[in-house]
Amino acid sequence: MRDRPMNVRPIRLVFFNLFAFAALVLSGCASRPSTEQQVTAYEEDFNDPFEDTNRKIFEFNQFVDRNAIVPAAKAYRTALPDPVRDSVHDFLNNLRAPMIFVNDTLQGQFESAAKTVGRFVINSTIGIGGVVDVAGRWGIPFHEEDLGLTLGTWGVPEGPYIVVPVLGPSTPRDLGGQVAEGFGDPWNVLVTGNPWTLYWIPYVRGGVSGIDQRSRYIETLSDIERTSLDYYATIRSLYRQRRAALIRHERENLPPPSGFSQHDDRRSFGALANPPARAAVLSETANVSEVVK
Amino acid sequence: MMRRSFLTVAFIALAGALAPAIPAAAAADPAAMISNLGSRALEVLGKDATQPQRAARFRELLREDFDVPGIGRFVLGRYWNTATEEQRAEFIKLFEDYIALAYATRLAEYSGENFKVTGSRPDADGAIVSSQILRPGGAAPVKVDWRLTGRNGVYKISDVSVDGISMAVTQRSEFASVIQHNGGQVQGLIAMLRDKTKGAAAR
Repeated sequence: MRDRPMNVRPIRLVFFNLFAFAALVLSGCASRPSTEQQVTAYEEDFNDPFEDTNRKIFEFNQFVDRNAIVPAAKAYRTALPDPVRDSVHDFLNNLRAPMIFVNDTLQGQFESAAKTVGRFVINSTIGIGGVVDVAGRWGIPFHEEDLGLTLGTWGVPEGPYIVVPVLGPSTPRDLGGQVAEGFGDPWNVLVTGNPWTLYWIPYVRGGVSGIDQRSRYIETLSDIERTSLDYYATIRSLYRQRRAALIRHERENLPPPSGFSQHDDRRSFGALANPPARAAVLSETANVSEVVK
Repeated sequence: MMRRSFLTVAFIALAGALAPAIPAAAAADPAAMISNLGSRALEVLGKDATQPQRAARFRELLREDFDVPGIGRFVLGRYWNTATEEQRAEFIKLFEDYIALAYATRLAEYSGENFKVTGSRPDADGAIVSSQILRPGGAAPVKVDWRLTGRNGVYKISDVSVDGISMAVTQRSEFASVIQHNGGQVQGLIAMLRDKTKGAAAR
């Protein structure tokens, strides 16, 4: 992370992400609902104009999930005991600290940013390179933050719902954030920008992260699927609500006085952040004109 | 692929949520009502209960502690207005069956995790009670909010939100999707609910 040149482009990540993006853009274009009435009805309830295509990708993802991801997740769970898997999870969380710190800061959440630094320092040292979440046990729990959420707090609308092949539920804002984070992540920059052939490391990290996450929800997700009338619609709602809740920062139970000042910080910072704020204003205007039409 | 950490705990929370009856007198204090839920769930839905028993008991609790007609009306959204009286009545009945079947199985996983009520505040229709489920290994606690509707001093649960995800909103979104895919007809949803609850009962 320290003295690596930051201008080296992680070419393979570019290709991977471009592929994902192209696939979704192409597939999305094919299937706009035809009548104007339909468009209105879909957009006001679900903002899912590419629903037909999304459902096909969702089906494909479920096929991959059933036949590859879940078996891998189950094998992972059987092969490794709980404490080992917890360590893997904590280690992966610790690797995310730099990007979480950046996003805390971009959102003006300076208290959270300080906690992220504290967690990283404590877990990387006393927590033996991140394999033990010592900071969490000391009362500084991990918190989620990413560029999609940052854009959300700046007022950038999420856009239509999209299902990305293999990666699953997303929105243009969240996917864009993910792609950008792929470039910006210091660990990715570190391993793709060196003379050794370590470019595969981000893929392994991504794969292990995916298996780690999936292994935690095997029963839960199969239960939701079994009891749902429309699993696709349920997942869509869960994804949206979860993202919205993270943007509202509902989990930060702030006492009133500091809560107010923190909110003000965030707002004034948001006003300074020019391009995203402009984009938000523009797209809001676009929405308004859409409605007026 | 879902990669958010809410789902596992969502159902633990629901297990606590969809818990047994409290006497009407005790229900006057929303916070106390919620803090009793977890332990009562364990009492009534013991590990020895068979699946049909659990579903039957669960339905009793559902009727006593939850505002099922109110939730049913909410989850039907704007389609409530277009439904006939008969459809509404059948929907509410099927909806109750559906919740009982969907969530009773999930209760089996609930083993009395660390659950504590952290606060309560008045709301337009009643009260909102905040609670937390503590998790091991330094993970952040799961935040569970309960929306209670009060009528004549009796509170009933009208929504549960887990880390900001409302169960009622999720259900409404799913049902709206089902109705839209059935040409905007509530009858389509009713038919699917009938199928689902019948199939599950036979299992």
